[in-house]
Amino acid sequence: MAPKLVISGLGKSFGDLDVLRRIDVSVERGEFICLVGPSGCGKTTFLRIVAGLEPASSGEVLLDGRVVREPGGDRGFVFQSDNLLPWRSVFANAIIGREIAGQVGPAERRRTMELLKLVGLEGFEQYHPRQLSGGMRQRVNLARALAIDPQVLLMDEPFSSLDAQTREIMQTELMRIWDEGRKTVLFVTHQIDEAVFLADRVLVFARRPGRIRENVAIELPRPRQLVIKRTPQFVRYVDHIWRLIEDDVRASVIEERV
Amino acid sequence: MGPAEATEAQALTRILRGDRLRQFAGVLSVLGGLLLWELVSRLLVANPLFLAAPSQILQAIYALTMSGEMQRHLAISAIEFAIGYVIASAIGIVLGFAMANSATAKRALQPWISGLYATPTIALAPLFILWLGIGIWSKVLVVIFLVLFPVTINTEAGLRTTSERLIEMLRSFGASPRQIFFKVSLPSAMPFILAGLKLGIGRGLIGVVVAELFGSRAGLGRLISQSADAFNMPELFAGVIVLAVAGIVMTAGFTWLEGKLVPWTRD
Repeated sequence: MAPKLVISGLGKSFGDLDVLRRIDVSVERGEFICLVGPSGCGKTTFLRIVAGLEPASSGEVLLDGRVVREPGGDRGFVFQSDNLLPWRSVFANAIIGREIAGQVGPAERRRTMELLKLVGLEGFEQYHPRQLSGGMRQRVNLARALAIDPQVLLMDEPFSSLDAQTREIMQTELMRIWDEGRKTVLFVTHQIDEAVFLADRVLVFARRPGRIRENVAIELPRPRQLVIKRTPQFVRYVDHIWRLIEDDVRASVIEERV
Repeated sequence: MGPAEATEAQALTRILRGDRLRQFAGVLSVLGGLLLWELVSRLLVANPLFLAAPSQILQAIYALTMSGEMQRHLAISAIEFAIGYVIASAIGIVLGFAMANSATAKRALQPWISGLYATPTIALAPLFILWLGIGIWSKVLVVIFLVLFPVTINTEAGLRTTSERLIEMLRSFGASPRQIFFKVSLPSAMPFILAGLKLGIGRGLIGVVVAELFGSRAGLGRLISQSADAFNMPELFAGVIVLAVAGIVMTAGFTWLEGKLVPWTRD
């Protein structure tokens, strides 16, 4: 079967600054891919190009063989900050993607209700964002992206603003939700253990210019529980990836200090 | 009751008393002020040509209402205010939209708006009376001039400060510029637009009264100026008090409306 997503020769520059250079990735249907790297390695820019929120300077993104040029209903984006509309209820926020596509029939409404239940927000449909905790708001963020029933889910550090315990809960929840639909996922994170826990494959990015340093296949059995994070095999993966990016991280830390 | 319990009870009473004091601080302050005013005007000034006591003002309001004078003045001022306020709000919101959506419109309008907002346009009231006569329309024009600019400026600012992240979220679902406007920009500008309209209430009331002072046949401003000419302090203050109450009621009504229309801005 042809790969779901083919990214070839992708490059992006802002003026003289090369943010991404010659990225080649091919993603299978249903694969869970994590992107890790030091800050400034262009991983978020990469995700935004796949989403169609930003144009590429060179190369192309093919989704099911068609070139991606703009945002579309075949991709759902989960943002780093929840970006919920404060004047809308949880339900009205979750269904907004359908609303924009002009599809808010009974079937879509029912589906959105099911998704809110799936992300653990049953009974909160009529609440407003200001009444929810950070973790609950991120669940709405996820349900909103899933509600358009996308082929590919693009997630940009969705758990980075949550505290450590909530984040771990959300990771296992995400695994459970992903198991239900087996969507193709691209997940950006700066947490190596999060990447190893979630991914079938981790793309390790290097910076200046942003490029893929290594493609690490994670051969851990599924379904995964949190205890897997304490197994030697898991720790070996984390160590390996950390060694790949350590120098880059140090460089970026020093740069930020200057 | 042991000593420990006694002190506890005392502390509790103190707390309760403090709470109650805080609760009634506003009412007490107003009542105290009125009492002081009554005493000063009766004992210290003791001259009805200079100052009227609250009790005399209340009597004047009662008498003016009974004779129908108050209603006549109030109705004229209310009509002037309402017509001017509605016209100014409509134009202001349209201009604000135009400025937020088109750089050319903003460039073209900005100098006029900034200039006229800073100008005390109330000083133009005599000119408007010269042009439009002493009827209601000269006052309507003054109200329009005073209300228009805060509404325009707030509408434009509200639309312009729409969160980029929310726009991007909508864009990720393939939203059109029209959908972005109605689903994000407009609702997020609502609190600003309402704040501009609220600001307009006070300015509009000032406009009505001051314009009437310059020349009119009826209205609260007219009541105030003719009472001043006749050294009738109770009636002068009656006009001022009715105006103050109108301002307070309208602003409070607006705050209530904000709670209904844009509840997400509370707390």
